[in-house]
Amino acid sequence: MSMDLTAIPLLSLILWLPVVGALLLFFVRKESTIKLIALATMLLDFVVSLGLLLNWSNTGDMQFVEKLLWIPPLNISYHLGVDGISLFLVLLTTLLGPIVVLYSWHNIKNNLRAFMVLLLVQQTGIVGVFTSLDLILFFIFWEFTLIPMYFLIGRWGGQRRVYAAVKFFLYTMAGSALMLVVILLLYWQTGSFDWIELQQTPLDPTVQTWAFLAFALAFAIKVPLFPFHTWLPDAHVEAPTAGSVILAGVLLKMGIYGFLRFCLPLFPDATLRFAPWIAGLALAGILYGALVALVQKDVKSLVAYSSIAHLGFVMLGVVSLNQQGLAGAVLQSVNHGLSTGALFLMVGMIYDRRHTRLLTEFGGLWKQIPIYSALLLVVVMASVGLPGLNGFVGEFTILVGAFKANRLWAVLGTVGVIFAAWYLLAAVRGMLQGPLDNPANQKLQDLSAREIWVLVPLILLFFLIGLFPNLFLDKINPAVETLLHGMNAAAQISFLP
Amino acid sequence: MIPTDYVLILAAVLFTIGAAGVLVRRNALIIFMCVEMMLNSVNLTLVALADLWGNLTGQVFAFVVMAVAAVEVAVGLAIIMAIVRHKDTSNIDEINLLKG
Amino acid sequence: MNLPHIDFSVITPELIVIATALVVMLAEFVGAHATPSPTRSHRIALIALLGLVLAALAAVAGLGRAATDIQGMLVADDLGRYLELVVLLAAALGLLLAWDYLPQFTKMHSEYYALYLLAVVGMMFMGKSTELITLFVSLEILSVALYVLTGFHRGQLAAGEAALKYFLLGAFSSAFFIYGAALLYGDTGSTHLVDIAARASGGFLTLAGLALLLVGFGFKLAVVPFHMWTPDVYQGAPTPVTAFMSVGTKAAAFVALFRVLQAAGVSYATWSLVLALLATLTMTWGNLAALRQSSLKRMLAYSSIAHAGYMLIGVTAGMQLGLSAVLFYLFAYAFMNIGAFAVVSLLERPGYHATQDATIDAARGLFARKPLLAVVMAIFLLSLAGVPPLAGFFGKLYLFNAAVQSGWIWLAIVGMINSVVSAYYYLRVTVLMFMTEADETSFLRSPLSNATGLAIAVAMVGTLLLGIFAGPWLQQLGQAALAFAGS
Repeated sequence: MSMDLTAIPLLSLILWLPVVGALLLFFVRKESTIKLIALATMLLDFVVSLGLLLNWSNTGDMQFVEKLLWIPPLNISYHLGVDGISLFLVLLTTLLGPIVVLYSWHNIKNNLRAFMVLLLVQQTGIVGVFTSLDLILFFIFWEFTLIPMYFLIGRWGGQRRVYAAVKFFLYTMAGSALMLVVILLLYWQTGSFDWIELQQTPLDPTVQTWAFLAFALAFAIKVPLFPFHTWLPDAHVEAPTAGSVILAGVLLKMGIYGFLRFCLPLFPDATLRFAPWIAGLALAGILYGALVALVQKDVKSLVAYSSIAHLGFVMLGVVSLNQQGLAGAVLQSVNHGLSTGALFLMVGMIYDRRHTRLLTEFGGLWKQIPIYSALLLVVVMASVGLPGLNGFVGEFTILVGAFKANRLWAVLGTVGVIFAAWYLLAAVRGMLQGPLDNPANQKLQDLSAREIWVLVPLILLFFLIGLFPNLFLDKINPAVETLLHGMNAAAQISFLP
Repeated sequence: MIPTDYVLILAAVLFTIGAAGVLVRRNALIIFMCVEMMLNSVNLTLVALADLWGNLTGQVFAFVVMAVAAVEVAVGLAIIMAIVRHKDTSNIDEINLLKG
Repeated sequence: MNLPHIDFSVITPELIVIATALVVMLAEFVGAHATPSPTRSHRIALIALLGLVLAALAAVAGLGRAATDIQGMLVADDLGRYLELVVLLAAALGLLLAWDYLPQFTKMHSEYYALYLLAVVGMMFMGKSTELITLFVSLEILSVALYVLTGFHRGQLAAGEAALKYFLLGAFSSAFFIYGAALLYGDTGSTHLVDIAARASGGFLTLAGLALLLVGFGFKLAVVPFHMWTPDVYQGAPTPVTAFMSVGTKAAAFVALFRVLQAAGVSYATWSLVLALLATLTMTWGNLAALRQSSLKRMLAYSSIAHAGYMLIGVTAGMQLGLSAVLFYLFAYAFMNIGAFAVVSLLERPGYHATQDATIDAARGLFARKPLLAVVMAIFLLSLAGVPPLAGFFGKLYLFNAAVQSGWIWLAIVGMINSVVSAYYYLRVTVLMFMTEADETSFLRSPLSNATGLAIAVAMVGTLLLGIFAGPWLQQLGQAALAFAGS
């Protein structure tokens, strides 16, 4: 029973469905209806996005492409497409959507409608980033995603939410400012904003260098790559849980995606030239993130710094510039989204109960809330990279790629993996094991059915990716191969292993 | 006949004096008089240039400037009166509610 | 006696507005004692609005037709018609703002609307003038009308002060303007722009004349360093007047500037460099000063200065790409700026000695009190900051594109950096609206006026949709620019 779904504009459907849901919400007053409509829209969006898998062909090309000339005088098109690199990022986004809505079922006390509208609109923005094949369209979605997150952090966040929100907005916007000028520069030189056309147009090396630097700055801030990471801890800690999950789960991936989609194929010479620098920054981030995470007292802050470390690792894979490194980077991005998303959800769940995130407040939770503890352990193991779970596959693949590129990188990266195990396991031990001596912890309720349902899809995916990675790598590898072939053809040096 | 150059130079000097007056003087009425002086110096320039080029455009322009100057006098004095009546001063240093 | 042939169809929209102004002046006397003040004011406003709409229809009807002129003094080309549309749009929105605002502080309704319409006429003429005397007269019509409108609130000391400053500085700059015109006349023997284009020597007289003209334009456009009057005048004038003149004068002056530069007789390389430097100064100064304001109207005034700077980038880019970008930006600016001022007018505290103004604190907790209004204001502010997918972003996109395409890459970079800086003070207002609690400094005029609501709605729709759906529109503007550049 296979339908030919390529005839339907599936990507547009996935892209705009959340906005339709948001518009519907304007006419609804009752809280329960609001929640139902939001959840239904998100679930529908996820189901529709599964349609991408149904008609997937394992080639490296762009699929489900839609193109419409939008602004003729400037040759700007509404151009969407998805390939092995972006497929799972889109699916990750649509998966986290309903999860986040379901998680926030009871803990948004004021302006629930605005909250849900922002979540929906945010989803459109992020899907737009992952599927745009026109540089201006990409930029529009890229900047647009700042708005919902800014309001989410600023209105429903913690104590220092205003500072965190404004810093997040301005820092990211400043980073992308140069990117727009460079996009216009590319248009001037080549007459096109279209990604496919730009790939086939050779670029002058000087232009490539400036273009790469401008794009890389914007993406480095998003990833975040050390030392452009300073906005992240504040944003993560102050954001409401739903915001943190989307931020860590998907928003940060936009940075990695940017490198993969634009810097590598469009500016291959410049990429090769700057690869060692980026590797250096990535390694710095891995070690820095790990060391700082070790001394964090606030669990959310710890997870935030661990993100810097983990994504540094992913960037290492990206700049290895070989099949394993890149494929590993794509897969690990998805993995990070799943596991860090789950981590933030679980931090949120304990915060909902105890209104504190300080590690010292917890201890011996295993005895009181076993389900929570068990699931937390699984999630942490996924993050650490236990074989059998998703994290291991990604990390291992990246290490192979890094090793092929430069042994030192691999060694230093491995050190980072070890550190990750250290601080995460230390945190888990501090929280779950030991005596249950804090009286506030002695009456804790274990996870409700809703909370379990929020985590189950993620945990299932941990195992699925961990045990059957080829289901995913089969789709990622062809796209990576195409990317490398393209870079090879455009640049002077061979990128293939 | 006075050489055109002299007239033009005189007009330029008057213009400069007027401009300096606007920047330096403190009384709103005096400032306005300096502006009028600037306008009239331009009139002088226009008439001299009309003579130079032998067409009447400059003189027509001068008439138009005079008419507009008259309009500005009417409106300007009304505005100045409105303020003076309230504040009992026409010294612009003392008219400083709007700051920054 | 041979009368010169005058083709009145060239100025049909202007004639309609003049006629409306005359009717409005007389309408005061109809039923003067029978009807209460607000209703009388509404009636007069309605007549004025109808006049504006009719004029807009006349302008639209003329689009696409070949250019005709009156004795070479006023031309009716597409550029002029688009200018008329921007000015009429700004005027209509400003009129809606004044609908309920006006009766609250004055009984002189027909005087206000008559002056308002005459200012509109001045602006429209300014965009069509191809001859320096006509340009000067149009400039003065609009200026004098605005001087009076600025000081209209007799009960407010700040308004009178604003009017005085505007008047003195405006007359001062007009003197520079006509001196420049006189020098150009001296250089070429004619005040017609076509003649100046043909015969200008390019020497000292031309340069001096052009420089002085630029001083005059710089004042009207609030370009640094001729911007001193802007914050005070914007703050002291009644908000509907401020809203209207922030867009209208700029539109008229920019189009006139394009016409003058095309005829300049000075090379593009020279004047574009000067303008690039002025643009940089203006944007930077405007944005930096706006960061420190605690008054909403002053903040928007400095933001206006900054936006004039962005549009100067478009002028620097040249006659084709730059012109269509500036035209587009003017339309977008009309929607977002007047929308912002409309919301500001609802946050103002009325009072005698108060500087009739809304402090930023008045917006505190607005989302809790009136969520829709806060959201709409956020849309206007984000559009002014240049965040996609709003109209302001597309406007800046086209401006910076024009700059890059003409080789002014550094200017585009400066523009983008300025946009980011400006985001800070726009965001600050959203922080107060959405992320802080309302307290005694918060204020909201009540009851909310329907006309203002209509203006806000129109402005919001424009801000949201102009960018996204404006592809064909941009093409039209581009064709108008092409036609102008070729002429």
